[in-house]
Order: sequence, then structure tokens, then C-alpha cells
Amino acid sequence: MHDIHVIDPVTRIEGHAKITLHLDDGGSIADARFHVTEFRGFEEFCRGRPLDEMPALTARTCGICPVSHLLAGAKATDALCAVRIPPPAVLQRRLANLGQIVQSHVLSFFHLSAPDLLLGMESDPAVRNVFGLMAAEPEIVRRGIRLRQFGQEVIASVAFDKIHGGGIVTGGVAEPFTTAKRDAVVGWLDEVHASALATWDLLWSVTDQFADEIAIFGDFDSLYLSHCLPDGTWEHIDGNLRITGADGQIVVDQFDPADYLELLGESGKTDSYLKAPYYKPYVDGDDPRPGMYRVGPLARINNAERFGTPEADARLALLRERFGRTATSAFLYHHARVLEVIASIERIAALMDDPELLTWPVRADAGVNALRGVGASEAPRGTLFHDYSVDRQGLITGVNLVIATGQNDLAINRTITDIARAYVHGPDDLTDGALNRIEAGVRAYDPCLSCSTHAVGQMPMVVELVAPDGEVIAHRRRD
Amino acid sequence: MSRPSLAVWKFASCDGCQLSLLSAEDELLTLAEEVHIAHFLEATREVAPGPYDVSLVEGSITTPADAERIRHVRSISGTLITIGACATAGGIQALRNLADVEAYTNLVYAHPEYVSTLAESTSIAQHVPVDFELRGCPVEVPQLLEVVSALLAGRKPVTPPHAVCLECKLRGAVCVMVAHGTPCLGPITQAGCGARCPAFNRGCYGCFGPMETPNTASLSDRLHDELGVDDDDLARLLRTFNADAPEFRAEARRRDSIAAAREEATT
Repeated sequence: MHDIHVIDPVTRIEGHAKITLHLDDGGSIADARFHVTEFRGFEEFCRGRPLDEMPALTARTCGICPVSHLLAGAKATDALCAVRIPPPAVLQRRLANLGQIVQSHVLSFFHLSAPDLLLGMESDPAVRNVFGLMAAEPEIVRRGIRLRQFGQEVIASVAFDKIHGGGIVTGGVAEPFTTAKRDAVVGWLDEVHASALATWDLLWSVTDQFADEIAIFGDFDSLYLSHCLPDGTWEHIDGNLRITGADGQIVVDQFDPADYLELLGESGKTDSYLKAPYYKPYVDGDDPRPGMYRVGPLARINNAERFGTPEADARLALLRERFGRTATSAFLYHHARVLEVIASIERIAALMDDPELLTWPVRADAGVNALRGVGASEAPRGTLFHDYSVDRQGLITGVNLVIATGQNDLAINRTITDIARAYVHGPDDLTDGALNRIEAGVRAYDPCLSCSTHAVGQMPMVVELVAPDGEVIAHRRRD
Repeated sequence: MSRPSLAVWKFASCDGCQLSLLSAEDELLTLAEEVHIAHFLEATREVAPGPYDVSLVEGSITTPADAERIRHVRSISGTLITIGACATAGGIQALRNLADVEAYTNLVYAHPEYVSTLAESTSIAQHVPVDFELRGCPVEVPQLLEVVSALLAGRKPVTPPHAVCLECKLRGAVCVMVAHGTPCLGPITQAGCGARCPAFNRGCYGCFGPMETPNTASLSDRLHDELGVDDDDLARLLRTFNADAPEFRAEARRRDSIAAAREEATT
């Protein structure tokens, strides 16, 4: 089984996404795999820690979406204490998650993807980055920077800090919200709402230029998993899960995330430090691929009937008019992200008008009342599960983290297989153009590799072409 | 005069510290004018070849390949600055230094034989000479900008050497230990965060690591004797994001041995 022996310590460069393209006997692409190669060990070193430390400890999994881990971790420890958190704390946590969705999606769109989308995939790599875009389109970049700043300040208003904040705690939040904080957030709203709408206009205006990418980049049937309200309204942190199929059919609805192990299996991949979950009922045997599902913005807009906010819903209707009720191309993750930015800003505006936001108490106090607790929320990149077990003293005995990027792993593999089939036709064909498109296919999912490995952004890659007997017949590396 | 070149490198970490650079919203455009950002994978595809005038290094060393890579980074960098708890003290993943790394990989991965990793997570300075260490988990944006502007101006960066306690007093916060009996690492932790946690009635948990010459033993004895914190809890308090910083590590070990001795005495 040479063809799975790809995490070779000699060629492994930490911080690189590694991609292997497997050829069949006829020399065509049979399969493509995306590998993750960093190991930090959170599941183990959290053992023995007191449960109320867990939100702050697991936030250090990722500096890009620490709020997601804070929230899922806090919800898991709420479950260990068997508490229902006070209503104003629910609102504050919702506010923090909306801020998180805004800042993370804006980072993905403006800092990482906009250079490709606005300067063109074929433009000079030396300027095809956020600094090049600053020179070419300073107003657009300034808009992105301001939008992200808004998201970060919303986060800091609840969590005390933009990264690894301490305000989200077991049982609720640390402090009541204040009118000063509310007024500061309200002061931003007109500007950021207008900016978000302008961002949509920009993306929509260039959409036609990417018809090829939309057709080739991960346009296939899969399941979609996310939180969703019973009436079909978009949801990002509370409530239960929905799974739909590519035909829009609801496969599972209002499933309690605490029972996620009944739905999801985790395949023990041999070739990556990323665990690859699948939808259990569709898998019979060793091949997890029939159980492939996607999470994140695309899954959320496919599962939901509506955002429940006016301007976001108007644009969701445009998208559906063009691409159908279920958006199946991974390229449309970009569109889903911008729609979620608009919806999040409109939801934040609604929260600012809710008088309950300013009330207290904000924290429920309790000891250990359950020996296992699961917390789930919608991280920007998809559904995140934290599953903790404790002993009677409240010290952690077991941790399982199921992260969004891992859940998209099977779909990412399928996406790059399709792209490689379209653009790579043999050992001499690993061109820059092919590499760029493979990279863009991976980036459509906005994989947060910190959650098990490295940076997003420019993707340092190692791409290997592997013959059926396992021999590596071509190797391209880009640092 | 050409602009100095800046490179940003990542080792085992969460990306939060290098993201602090992107979070400097108001200053980012100015910064991009003053320095040539030549290697910053988080933000740009362009990679100018080295050498670089300044390298910012995030993350700790956890694999044999990284132990090699940091030597290469050192060799092509003029000034090398480490940023954040991972780079300066091994980070939260240094908690694994206390355990058997095989047990880890077996627990997490179905095929641990494919995992190649070092037994310990170590700071950058344990591998190569470092010109300046900027602390924090994550680093504070104003401090990061101070370090970069000091370099541009050719002066020494000004970061506070004193304890969090001083920041607490400056912002008029009530002492959580004196008033509420909450254990707090403020007296031995380097300032820089503005006493964020004590100001919200939480004890400091040492994100910025030990201050210069901290009296860790005195604090931990008093937490034990006067606030009744037991030895296991004291050791855990010191073992978070800076668990491998020498002063915190030594005191946590001392608490372990006190606990072990007491255990022996009772059996």
C-alpha cells in the first residue's frame, strides 16, 4: 500500500498543505488527497484540567476563530454543569458569534480571495495579494479592513479581547453588557451595512467572469449539515441540526447535537493529521465517501429557507434564481460568506434594540452535574463540536473536538480530484496554472488549518503525482 | 534608502499572533508603506527571496523538520524577534512535555505510526539566538507595533518589565486576591495586557509569562497558606500557556514534589 504512505518525514514540511494526485493505469487522475501535517495534541493535554478552564484552553486551538472554540467549549461545560444560562448571556454569546462570523468571513473575502477575484487569477503573483490590492483598489481594501475591525470590536465587547478573550465562561458570560458598549456598536451599523451591501454588489458583478470555475470547482452532490431552526430560519449557535441532500430534501431535522456520534463517524485516515468525519447511515464498509457532507456557509444557506433579515434575504433570492435552490458549487462559498456578513450585521442591529441584552444576571453558577457534556455551534467554517468528559471533581478525563475543516475534508478531496482531472494530464503537466486552480479549489472552503495545522492565505503546497505502484513520478513544491 | 524587508514565520501555533498584525487595522496601511512585507503567508502569495532585515517568528518547535527550518530562518534573518507564548515559552502545547507523547498520538490518531513528532514543544530561543522576545497569548497589537517601529527607528523596543499588579493599580482595579480571595498570578506575571482579567474580577492566569526575576515561590506559598489553594491546583495554575517558561515550570515542579512528599507521609 505505497500509495497511502505520503506523510513521509523526509518530504513533510510543517506548515505546508500537502496534496497527492494518484494516477490510474491509463495515466489519468484516479484520486486526489489533501493532507494536514501538524500535531499539537489538545485532546490529550487538556486531560486533568478543571472544566471551567476549557473554554480558554481550547480557544488556543485557533487564533482565527478563537470565539468559536470559546463558545463551543463554554456550551460543553454548561452541559457538564447541567445549567441553562441566563437569557442576557444567551444574547451576548449570540452577539459574539455574529461578530466572529463577520470578521472571519471578511478576512477570507478581502484579505485572501479578493486578490484572485478582483485582480484576476492570471495576474502577476507579486501583486496578487492584499498589499497589491491596496495599491490598485485602496477604497475596497479600506472597506474590508473597517468591516473586519467592526467584527473584532463586537467580539471584544463580549469577550474583552479580539483574540483569546476571557469574557465567555462556563454558565454564561463574565459581565453584563453596558449602554456604552451598545452605543459603540450602534455607531458602526450604518457604515458596515452599506459596506457589506457594496461587497455583495462587487462580487455579484464579477460572478459571470468565473463561470468555468463555478462549473469545475467542487460542483457535485453532497449532504449539507448545519444548525437550523425548525421553521427553516438560518441559525448560528443555538438549537438543533439539520441535514439536507443535494436535491434539497431534508434527510435529518432537529437532531440534538449532543448525540452527534449517532450521526457522524470519524474515519481513521492514515495519511493526514486531520480526522475526516462522515454521515454514518450512508456508509457501509470501509469507504467513507458515500457519507460525504459539507459544512459552513454553503451548507447553512442550503439548509435554511431564509436568513430572516431583509437585505440578506433579497440577495439570497438572487443567488437562488441564478443557481437553483441548492447551491452545489464550492465556488459559491464566497457568495454564501458575503450573504452571511450582511445577515450577521442585520442580526447585530436587531440585538442592539433588544432591551434584554442589557440585563443581568449573566452567569449561572453550578458544580459538576453531568459527567459528559457536548457543546456545538456554527463556527464561520461550519459546525463545531466540543465533547468533554469529567470525573466527579470536574477534572477533564476525555476530549473530542470535531472541527469544521475536518468535516469538509472528503469534499475538499473530491473538489481537487475534479480540478486535477480537468487540468493535469500527466507528469509534465503540473503547471503553475494547475497549481493555482487546485489552491483556489481548496481555498473556496476557507480551510482553517490552524485547527490542526497552519495558516490560510497563500497556500504553501507540496503536490505529488503518484503512479499506481506508489512511485512518486513528479513533485512540485511551492513555498 | 530602500524599505527594510519583513518576514513572518509560523511554527506550531494558532496563528493568533501573526493575525494581530492584520488586526492593526488603523496602522496596517501605513506599515505596508514603511516596510516591504516580503514573506507573510497569512496575507500574501508573493514570496521575495531572503535574506530579510527582520523576521517575526510565531510558534514553537515540535517536529524534527521544524528544528531544521528555524536554523534556516535564523541564517537568512538580520533581526529575529519571537512573538507570543508559543515562540517564547513553548506555548500551551508544551503541556505535552509533562506526558508521554506516544500516549497522545495513540489517543488522537488511528494510525500513529505516521506521526513524526518531537517529545517536547520548545521555545525558539532553545534552538537559535533570538534578538528580542515579545510575550503574550496572544501578543498585544500596540506592543507589536512598538517593536516594529523601534526597529525602524533603530532603537530598543520599550515593553514593560514590571508585574501585572502595577497595571491593575494604574487602572484603579480592586485587588481580586485581597478583596475576594481569588488566586491571581498578577504579582509574578509580566505586564502588557493592561490587567484585563483582574479588572473584570478574574485572577490573572499568566498569558504574558513570568516577569523579570519573579518571586514565584513566595506567591505560591501564600496562595497555599493563606487562600488554601492546594498543591495540585497551584501546579495547574502555573501550567497554562507559559507552562515551559523556566520560572513557572520550576515552581510547578516544586508543588508537585511537595504534594508527592505529603502523599508519601500519609501512606
